[in-house]
Amino acid sequence: MTTRLEPADADECARSLAGASAERRSMRIAGALSKAYLGELRATDVELRTVRIAGVVDHVPADLTITVAGGTPFAEMAAALARAGQFLPLDPPHADRATIGGVIAANSNGFWRSRYGGVRDLLIGTRLALADGTLARAGGRVVKNVAGYDLDKLVVGSLGTLGVIVEATFKVLPIPAASAGLSATFARAGEAFAAADALVRGASRQEAIVIERRSGAAWRLHVGARGDRPTVARAKSDAARAVADLRGSAEPADDVASRLVALRELPAAAIDGALVRAALPLAAQTAFAESAADLDAFTTLVADAASGIVRVHLRGDDDAVATGAVALLMAARAVGGSGRVERRAESLRERIGAWDPAEPRGHFLMKRLKDAFDPAGVLEPGRSAVG
Amino acid sequence: MDVLGRGKVVATREDMLTYEYDGSADTASPDAVVLPETTADVAAVARFCHEHGVPIVPRGAGTGLSGGAIPVEGGVVMSFARMARILEIDVPNLRAVVQPGVVNLHLSTAVAPHGLYFVPDPSSQKACTLGGNVAENSGGPHTLAYGVTTNHVTGLEIVLSDGTIARLGGKAVEDEGYDLVGTFVGSEGTLGMVTEITVKLTPLAEDRRTVLAAFTTMDQASETVSAIIASGVVPAAIEMMDNLSTQAVEESVHAGYPLDAGGILLVEVEGVRDGLEDARERIEAICRANGASSLRLAATALEREKLWAGRKGAFAAMGRLAPDYYVQDGVIPRTRLPEILRRVNEAAASRGLRIANVFHAGDGNLHPLIVFDLRKEPDALRRAQEAGLEILAACVEAGGSITGEHGVGMEKNCFMPLQFRPDDLAAMRRVKDAFDPAGLANPGKVFPTPSRCREFSLGAVR
Repeated sequence: MTTRLEPADADECARSLAGASAERRSMRIAGALSKAYLGELRATDVELRTVRIAGVVDHVPADLTITVAGGTPFAEMAAALARAGQFLPLDPPHADRATIGGVIAANSNGFWRSRYGGVRDLLIGTRLALADGTLARAGGRVVKNVAGYDLDKLVVGSLGTLGVIVEATFKVLPIPAASAGLSATFARAGEAFAAADALVRGASRQEAIVIERRSGAAWRLHVGARGDRPTVARAKSDAARAVADLRGSAEPADDVASRLVALRELPAAAIDGALVRAALPLAAQTAFAESAADLDAFTTLVADAASGIVRVHLRGDDDAVATGAVALLMAARAVGGSGRVERRAESLRERIGAWDPAEPRGHFLMKRLKDAFDPAGVLEPGRSAVG
Repeated sequence: MDVLGRGKVVATREDMLTYEYDGSADTASPDAVVLPETTADVAAVARFCHEHGVPIVPRGAGTGLSGGAIPVEGGVVMSFARMARILEIDVPNLRAVVQPGVVNLHLSTAVAPHGLYFVPDPSSQKACTLGGNVAENSGGPHTLAYGVTTNHVTGLEIVLSDGTIARLGGKAVEDEGYDLVGTFVGSEGTLGMVTEITVKLTPLAEDRRTVLAAFTTMDQASETVSAIIASGVVPAAIEMMDNLSTQAVEESVHAGYPLDAGGILLVEVEGVRDGLEDARERIEAICRANGASSLRLAATALEREKLWAGRKGAFAAMGRLAPDYYVQDGVIPRTRLPEILRRVNEAAASRGLRIANVFHAGDGNLHPLIVFDLRKEPDALRRAQEAGLEILAACVEAGGSITGEHGVGMEKNCFMPLQFRPDDLAAMRRVKDAFDPAGLANPGKVFPTPSRCREFSLGAVR
């Protein structure tokens, strides 16, 4: 039987962790459970949910920072910021349900990373409940700070294995005045990625540069820009020129923003088969995408081409899906990147692991850090790539 | 000496003298100085030191301002002067792979023909090394829009204090498992040595506008900073200088700064040409609304360079005011600028000290420079340090930090309890112990040490 805990505040959360450590009871750490599919899930004695540790703690609009409790829904924070004409420049999947703590713990980025930075770049302070029941602050509420170690970075993507994020502070921005978008199709992957590459190197700083491919369809490029009116107009004309230079055909562009939202939500939609996610050096994307599209089980590819994050959804026969997933992980590693099976159907859980069987670089240090922060090994045992 | 061979070891007392100093006020003598040429050299020295329980203090160009390169507990100073090669410029992947001894500006110069640059631009960029930038998580004026060193590093090769070599991250934007690259950057040599760095390269902006705005008072300049930030324009840099700094800089650099202003702002916007005139007009309008007495747009690239040479030469120019200076590096929320600046000036004035302020106003990152002449006022350094402590306490009280880019080092490790409670420091200590269980990597830095910190009574300023 799993015990469910919903601590009311940071102190109660810390006490819950201390109790579990003392009794060696394993714990799942969850917010809204929107990414419960991530990693290797083992049954735990306790499920601790942060949903009651919620709310905006501090927001001084003129400082362009916001501090929120870890269990605050992302959407609630976004609404609070919007009332002040501001936004957190982060577009994570599951943005409608996810909590801030979950977004940080899962390093959940969308397509805006190249333009504004990712979770690790926007997060400037955290308060963590640790396994021994202590509460530790790292970073602060100012945009520049090198006092002490950057524990904020350590906790991004740690999947609850090092502690519980009970509070977080982010840099935010004013909502831009204007936006524009463009979609285009290309006959070949090389052309689509070359157009994306031209924009990555171009003078205009696009907000999103995304490549989409569905089985049997053309390669599609979606570009979004936001900013003041003159820069957005320029961004759009730069995008149109890059498309024309690479023989793409522009499509009617009324609805690029909502298309980008749909593509960003691929992890939410990919409930069957396997969704492989690779982080690649930029120039390795084209070959990776081409070989992905040739797989028997290939269904959909979505690439944040400006950051080198490529997702491939494989469906169909379990054998073909498993073979394809393993091939993609190997391909990612071969070019110096990394890959994971971000989501897979229940029937595939035994056949393919979530993590590349090759240990991540610096794994021995990760193990030591895990032991230092959670000596009893009670926090999300086995869930992350660290083990 | 047998570990590396005679040519890579500094042997004589006189030759070791330079390694007793860096850009800070602290000094200490190393027991030996080594000049490794390869990662294997670094690992060999580390293994030797580990075996004999000897501390290792890594050193780049020695431009650090918090005593990070000072061997406060003795041991071996490891200079990276001979590991100074750019190993790869990878234009397709927008990355460069460098050795730690490469000078910051040399990298940007080397990649400029490709239309690229390395973003962090500390004022010492003509001398400081990328290994030092990684250790200190260095910033610079242009980090307001694009972030500091940690936002531009994707891969590292490190050597732990026991000689273990580890590769972390790579050329992709992230790696699996914990973000060890992000954890290591800014650790000030206390987690190990960095022997190779993979950095992001960024396309150069198409164009820029640099505006010099003069104000009668520092308050007006501070209010202008808040108003610009709130307006939605995100400048690449907003720098502020007070009258004393302006005078010192004008005497040495002749940047063309107005000498009668109480405070000046250097504001730069960059990006595509199309939006720049709009952005400049908005910034100038905000400056005027806040009482700017004069506005000047850099008309040519040469004029812009002069304006920046003045700002970047400001610390060096302090020599015009007095032979010695002591600089602090606190950070505050930007809305608190006017109030905290007043307290900064009071902290110095009440101790009979002269103070110049030249800093990254857009980030809220203060650089109060207290100037004095130790020959005439032997106790001035002590008074300056007292004022510094009071200033940092004010920064922390305002919700800020004791250091924005200079690092904690041995200069502010005793002040860490101002900003962090024992449980916070204990969490950081876990990281230290995971990387450096023997405690030989740059000891006496970052964390308060009982021996040196006993004399500091933080209660007085709390």
